Amino acid sequence: MIIKIQKYNLSHIFDRLKSSHKLIGPKIENNAIILSEIEFHDIPAGYRDQQSPGCYKLKQGENAEVFSFSPGPDSFKRFLHPPFAEIFRFEKSKKGITISPSNSDEKPFAFIGIRACDISAMKLYDRVFSGEHIRDKTYESLRKNCFIMAVNCIYPGDNCFCQSIGTGPEVKDYFDIVITEIRDSFILETGTVAGERLLTGLQQDRVNDNDMKERNESIQRCGKAMKKAIKFDELPWLIYRNLEHPRWAEIEKRDLECGNCTQVCPTCFCNSSYDLVSLSGVLKKSEGLSGVRIRAWDSCFSKNFARVHGGNFRPSRKARYRQWMSHKLAYTFEQFGLPGCVGCGRCITWCPVGIDITHELEALRNAR
Amino acid sequence: MHDKSIPFEAKIKWIKKETRDTATYALQITDKFVQKKYKFKPGQFNMLYVPAIGEAPISISSASSDHDLMHTIRIAGDVTTHISSLSTGSAIGIRGPFGNGWPLSEIKERDLMIIGGGLGIAPLRSVIREIVKTKDIKRRNVLLYGAKTPKDIIFRDEYPRYSSVFEVHLTVDKADPEEYWHGDVGLITGLLNKVSFNPINTMFFICGPEVMMQNTVKMLTLKNVPAERIFISIERNMNCGMGICGHCFFGPKFVCKNGPVFRFSEIAGFLWIKEI
Amino acid sequence: MKKPKIGIFKFASCDGCQLSILNLEDEILDFIELFDISYFREASDSPLKGQFDIAIVEGSISAERQRQDIMDIRERSRRLITIGACATSGGLQALRNLASLSSYKQYVYPSPDFIDALPASTPISEHVFVDYELWGCPINKEAMVETMVSFLIGKRPGIPKYSLCMDCKGKGIPCLLVTNGEPCLGPITKTGCGVLCPSFGKACYGCFGPKEEANIESLLKQFQDMGLTQNECIQLLDKMNTYAYRKVRLEGR
Repeated sequence: MIIKIQKYNLSHIFDRLKSSHKLIGPKIENNAIILSEIEFHDIPAGYRDQQSPGCYKLKQGENAEVFSFSPGPDSFKRFLHPPFAEIFRFEKSKKGITISPSNSDEKPFAFIGIRACDISAMKLYDRVFSGEHIRDKTYESLRKNCFIMAVNCIYPGDNCFCQSIGTGPEVKDYFDIVITEIRDSFILETGTVAGERLLTGLQQDRVNDNDMKERNESIQRCGKAMKKAIKFDELPWLIYRNLEHPRWAEIEKRDLECGNCTQVCPTCFCNSSYDLVSLSGVLKKSEGLSGVRIRAWDSCFSKNFARVHGGNFRPSRKARYRQWMSHKLAYTFEQFGLPGCVGCGRCITWCPVGIDITHELEALRNAR
Repeated sequence: MHDKSIPFEAKIKWIKKETRDTATYALQITDKFVQKKYKFKPGQFNMLYVPAIGEAPISISSASSDHDLMHTIRIAGDVTTHISSLSTGSAIGIRGPFGNGWPLSEIKERDLMIIGGGLGIAPLRSVIREIVKTKDIKRRNVLLYGAKTPKDIIFRDEYPRYSSVFEVHLTVDKADPEEYWHGDVGLITGLLNKVSFNPINTMFFICGPEVMMQNTVKMLTLKNVPAERIFISIERNMNCGMGICGHCFFGPKFVCKNGPVFRFSEIAGFLWIKEI
Repeated sequence: MKKPKIGIFKFASCDGCQLSILNLEDEILDFIELFDISYFREASDSPLKGQFDIAIVEGSISAERQRQDIMDIRERSRRLITIGACATSGGLQALRNLASLSSYKQYVYPSPDFIDALPASTPISEHVFVDYELWGCPINKEAMVETMVSFLIGKRPGIPKYSLCMDCKGKGIPCLLVTNGEPCLGPITKTGCGVLCPSFGKACYGCFGPKEEANIESLLKQFQDMGLTQNECIQLLDKMNTYAYRKVRLEGR
């Protein structure tokens, strides 16, 4: 189903969706566009962000469009793979061990305004956490019944390069509804029955050929306007051939290993699990010991990540950087059949020293 | 499908001391239903869980036909230290089994050489016992095992029993003159030089410290063993066991789900790269 | 089970970290139930005697008498944990390590001859073996609980040594350095404060000291590219963990 609505009518869709879902969408906080639970009026309509390596500036309302801005540091990952999640509670007593899995019974999420790059990342997540042989209940309970209201980008962010990977700017699948903005209207396309059901009975206009032409052209224009690109055809071999390139030692000098890139990356899923016990959890030691098991975001940049007792598989910074970049640009193809980099450019913008993954990849091509 | 991120309880049935810092623990899964459903292949591992302390990936050292589920554990970090303080009847958590295991189907028509170093013999014992049980001597079975000193030899009492089916060769890096030792002295690669084998028709199952495996594989390659016939079991710091945490990467491989057993030809490009 | 005996000691410091033990609030009663606090100057006045299972030490070694005292405390203690920036990296007072004491003593004190101070203010770990260091100015009470629980149940405390950025991003705070051009020390500073300053829009100034393998040089170069002078950059580091940051810088060269 393809329909056209007046822009203000989108708020009706919000109202309909709100009864069944938690609406997660873009909102301005601390001079940046973040994701949180939103109302219709929270959408930073007309805002534009200027991004360069290590720099992000938000500018108010110069554009007439609603979805004129690019993604900020947040992505769906914060919600489907929370930074800090309780997996189970345990109790150990003389009798034995009791494990009670933790569940959340909150409303499912509706992701408003999610872009093509992040949808590709979500595909990867689905394969990581609930693929062929793996069913992670923590992820699945959050992922279940999510509603995806995507947006086709009409302006690229300054560090975007999804066009060169083929993950954007057009949202081609994996959505319930996808929105494209043309002049004073939104074209809404549905991808699922849930999407169709949501739009039924909404005040709408007919979509004509000109509208569709405009839709396609604006998305194409966006793709062409991207300033950054990687040579996707050369992956993963460009990485595999250069695992011992001297460039890794050079990047080591600039690399802060702060982990910002991994935290903002929508595909970085690495995490660590550990037990947490409070003083009152020990207090019961005569009868037992209780606590919770936590799964928290971690990063291949943290030194502990590859630690085993009595050693470390990646003691040097250059090996850790290589691990990160190789995972993004080479390993995930073999692991999940999908690119580990979706071209959102977040790691470039949010790197405090502006390390640019597209430049680093290019540098590997240079002679040793 | 059972949620593999949630441990189930087992009780320690018996403990057998192997060396000064290593012991074998037989575990009995408490829940009868889980116990019945629990099936593993030689070479797979479990995440053993001590509540409040944490988890450690430990390979299964018993055969699937064995009556008891065994793990042979050396005291290394917090978790294994805690396990070493447990006694018969104590409860422990288990998640698993994880990983792929040794490709037993591939050794049917071929000779088998098992090469273990140090505690690396633990996941291999699973295969050894499986073969010893079936008394399969149509093929030639060879076992090479190297430990630091005679006192560090794990399963020392068991090798005489295995020798009905396996040609057993033991070596130690250093023999203690105080102790009676009539086996070889030297590295496992030295032992490998002394044992003859058919390079084309032998399968190799190797597990041990990374350097030992690298050197062994190097030597086998020099002796014209095809890379497809060599399998090695790799050690990494598995945290989730099911391919969602990213700790155990070996190049593009998740050691926990693509491994821990790898055909050498699959990972040959990564084995020599430092800090991969 | 007999309660582990704890001694809480202080050297050159502001007492803030000891106070954070009293500030455990809900958990202070659990704490007292689990541990026998047999020496705590902040809360009592009894003299030092006997042995301790755990010595919790606050403050830096700044005078000769303190140097002797810490040796004595170590002798009496099975485990020794240092808490706070002073004890782990010399504290704010380690700024004086950069100058010679005699050169300024007469400007500060009316009778400088009474001043009996070592030429440098140094962390406890430079004098005795330390079992575990809890960084921060002041320390974080959750980290304190984790450390004490770990002692009781016998494991290494699970306190991360990675950067503040990791937790800052986890909390969903847009990077202050990237959005506002603030010279934030987050990328080279250990996490642990609960992202206190960035939560209020303020740049990190390094209360928790250098993170594991901090790349200070690279961050300072970025600050200079943003317009800070070299001196201004160094001044950012010269706070309560100056001694630790400078040490990492020297070692990195």
